[in-house]
Amino acid sequence: MNRYFRELSVAGALALLLAMLAIVAPAFYQPQPLLSLATREAPTLVVACGMTLVIICREIDISVGSQFSVCSVGAGLLAAHGWPPALVALAALFFGAVLGAFNGFLVAVLRLPSIVVTLATMVSLRQGLNLLQQGEFVNLPDSLQWFGLPQSDGQWTLVASALVLLAVFAVALRHLAAGRFVYAVGSDTEAARLAGVSPQGVKFSVFVLMGVLTGLAATMNIIQSPQVQPLSGSGLELKVIAAVVVGGVAISGGRGSVWGMFVGLLLLACVSPALTHLHIEAYWEKAIQGTIILLAVVGDGLRGRKGGG
Amino acid sequence: MRSPAPTSTWKSVLFSHEGILLLVLVAEWVFFYHFGTSINRRGIVVGFGTVDRQFDILRHSCEIGLLALALTPIILTAGIDLSVGSLLGLCAILFGMFWHDYGMSIPLAAAGALLVGLLGGSLNAVLITRLRLPPLIVTLGTYSLFRGLAEAITHGAVTYTDFPASFLFLGQERWHGLPTQAWVFFAVAALMGLLVHRTTFGRSFRAIGFSPEGSRYAGLPVERRLAMVYVIAGLVSALAGLIYTARLGQAKADAGTGYELFAITAVVLGGTSIFGGVGSVTGTLLGVAAIAVLKNGLACLPAVMRMNGAEELSGMLTGALLLVALAGSVLPKYLSNWRASRHSARSQPQTPSAA
Amino acid sequence: MKSLLLRSFLLVGLLLSAVAPVASAAAANQKLVVAMLPKAKGNAYFISCKAGAEKAAKELGVELLFDGPTDSNAAKQNEIVENWITLGVDVIVAACENKEGISTALRKAQKQGIKVVTYDADALPDSRSFFVNQATPEGIGYTLMDEAARLMNDEGEFDIITASLTASNQQEWTKYIKARLAEKYPKIKLAGERPCDDMKDKAQSEATAMMSANPNLKLIMAICSPGVPGAAEAVKQAGKTGKVKVIGLGLPNENKRYVHEGVTDSVILWNTMDLGYLSIYAGVAVAKNELKAGATSFKAGSLGTFEIKGDNILLGKPFIFNKANIDQFDF
Repeated sequence: MNRYFRELSVAGALALLLAMLAIVAPAFYQPQPLLSLATREAPTLVVACGMTLVIICREIDISVGSQFSVCSVGAGLLAAHGWPPALVALAALFFGAVLGAFNGFLVAVLRLPSIVVTLATMVSLRQGLNLLQQGEFVNLPDSLQWFGLPQSDGQWTLVASALVLLAVFAVALRHLAAGRFVYAVGSDTEAARLAGVSPQGVKFSVFVLMGVLTGLAATMNIIQSPQVQPLSGSGLELKVIAAVVVGGVAISGGRGSVWGMFVGLLLLACVSPALTHLHIEAYWEKAIQGTIILLAVVGDGLRGRKGGG
Repeated sequence: MRSPAPTSTWKSVLFSHEGILLLVLVAEWVFFYHFGTSINRRGIVVGFGTVDRQFDILRHSCEIGLLALALTPIILTAGIDLSVGSLLGLCAILFGMFWHDYGMSIPLAAAGALLVGLLGGSLNAVLITRLRLPPLIVTLGTYSLFRGLAEAITHGAVTYTDFPASFLFLGQERWHGLPTQAWVFFAVAALMGLLVHRTTFGRSFRAIGFSPEGSRYAGLPVERRLAMVYVIAGLVSALAGLIYTARLGQAKADAGTGYELFAITAVVLGGTSIFGGVGSVTGTLLGVAAIAVLKNGLACLPAVMRMNGAEELSGMLTGALLLVALAGSVLPKYLSNWRASRHSARSQPQTPSAA
Repeated sequence: MKSLLLRSFLLVGLLLSAVAPVASAAAANQKLVVAMLPKAKGNAYFISCKAGAEKAAKELGVELLFDGPTDSNAAKQNEIVENWITLGVDVIVAACENKEGISTALRKAQKQGIKVVTYDADALPDSRSFFVNQATPEGIGYTLMDEAARLMNDEGEFDIITASLTASNQQEWTKYIKARLAEKYPKIKLAGERPCDDMKDKAQSEATAMMSANPNLKLIMAICSPGVPGAAEAVKQAGKTGKVKVIGLGLPNENKRYVHEGVTDSVILWNTMDLGYLSIYAGVAVAKNELKAGATSFKAGSLGTFEIKGDNILLGKPFIFNKANIDQFDF
């Protein structure tokens, strides 16, 4: 029980919020809007899975928002030029992989600090995209929306895919050797190396995986509406890191789970629609989110754990 | 290898991080002077090479420069503070509110804003030092919280304007030849330099960044020192907020958005390691200058103007410059490791320690 | 460190004496240089202003510089104006994010002989010669409210999606929307107002939440251009096409499909290409002294004659794009 206290307390907070909504604003619980909300958040969940791994192995990637935008626009432009949906999706994954590999090379091979590397790539990618696209929307062919499926099927498929991916990561982190390596590298790099794990290899792979997941999320995003806005993805990194941290993954590495991240994501994602349903003014949103982050982390500190790890 | 600074020989100073950065700064300045200055149709020399333009660069760099100065001791201690931009905004609107809604005089309102900065910094300090929470997460939370409070207090909508000319003098006029805020900036830079490099108090920052445990064993009051750097950062952010308001003539909840990233870039570019223990105030100043010159210089190039790409190009180049600077700082280590491994071809293979 | 600095200053001095500024090609070239400042150059609204401006610049034979912050940012606007002052452009045509803040810079420009004309959002009157007014914020707010009331049959609830909480244009329009609402439509209620931060996807999420929170919702009014297609997609995906109306301020191209599908009823705008075109003509005319204070009308190239009220050149009433006419426009 003690081991999962952190995750359970966040789950408790979420349950409290949901209960309050059930009593005061039951309109929140309509199936179609909830499905739409879940579909909108599915790409974020995918990116957050990747971020969980990155943070567990004691690195960070603040360029995911810009990667997301680049992959979305890139894939969108290909689709607009007539590429078939399957190839478009693969292209998005490929772009993500390349961007992730670049970060990974600098962090894992050149041993540069990830926060600064990803800060540089974040700014460069965002500005490069601005320069090329000048903020213009990309119009997508109708056949791309929901991959041609009817809307409801498309939405359920997206949500289910994200959840399946979450479960796969949960299992892989716990039961696959590769998953254990990530924890090992995050807890103690030297010990991991002496045990025969290559920290550089693990970190590089994690960054490439992060990029691929971002590309996947970009695909999941562009099939939801007939236009792509280059600005989409702005602020994604903060959203995702906040979810991971609130969910109990320690920034100092080596601790945490994707289930915790999932609960953290749900909690933070519900703030905005909750405010709308409770008729609370929008300008409280940032203050509330900041407070949630601080409370979650303060809870760690008060319990005597050193910043959760 | 983070060894103490070698004695100043010509070579070691020139090839130090600051030395190279200074050369880069001079090179880009000369480049923009040559290509970015011209004589317009009225026969006046315009562009980068004019005194006006140089003063503009100075004027526009003061707020980010102040934030970068505030961040230097923090990053030296291997910490970070993402909330400085948001705190700038919060202090700016509270300044406006104190003056406009509560009728305080400008000096009193300014004092109030500085106090808020101290409080904000103290919040970070308490969470980081008393509760031993990671600075990245704490300041991520306060980044949202401070901005959120600014938005909540003003409902996003309220803008404070119509400040008296005596206040706007701080941001928009010149004093003894230089933009007024430049004097403030230089004063803070001098103080920070003294603090970090000449006082035992300040010199402990590097030790703490290098090894907090070791410093504790050596008897340094680590928590108290750490708390001080975050509190100081809060105060300086508030000061930057006042200057921002004076320069623009308005205080709005979105003041300072995005500034923290520029400030961090300037500090790291200046040679301060994000891992702590290495760095200097001079480096930070050079970093701020390098970025400011790059940004403004690009805007003066005719080709860039035609492309409407000044901001984008400067962003991309700054990112590239940062990466090159980082890679460059790692290069000597690789070279010496490589040389060492070649020399000791016969001796036991040594595993190089992790970076 | 000191000796290094000294050495570098000497180096710089040497270099400077060897390097001379490039004599400008512009010295020989007699083209007027007009610098146009949008609020946000990434915003499609201003991109289409630019299209009209480029057309005008070509017709007039002037050189057009177009630059602005990527997102609305008063501080960056100031920096750009300062750039142009030291560059010595002939005319500045500016859409101002913050009235007071930018006026100082514009006055400085005027002092140096640069002519200033504002468009879309004004500065303080003494810092510019004319303001090309596409419509007053009052006109915009009233048109939006009237159109909404018409579609709602004068009763029911509606929501507003705005850009960001701090966006000043949107705040002005909202003020007049609320004023018109209070004055003329007692049976209509404004249920809520949420920002979308100029992001279409966020507007979609907000609209979905709004519809879910308020079953009585009859209309969503999106007053920032990415918000209109975002809200429309949300209504479509919620299956409420026709039940929840969508109107807003947006560009024809982004909204064509939704207008044809009957999701979005009206898209209100000015012909932003004309706005850009007129602004450049006005700016050049002021620079050439053809347009002076006190004039009551102004002829702008192929667009014809425009009325001048005081120092406001009026483009005309807001234009309503709907199913009948939206295909005629491409921007």
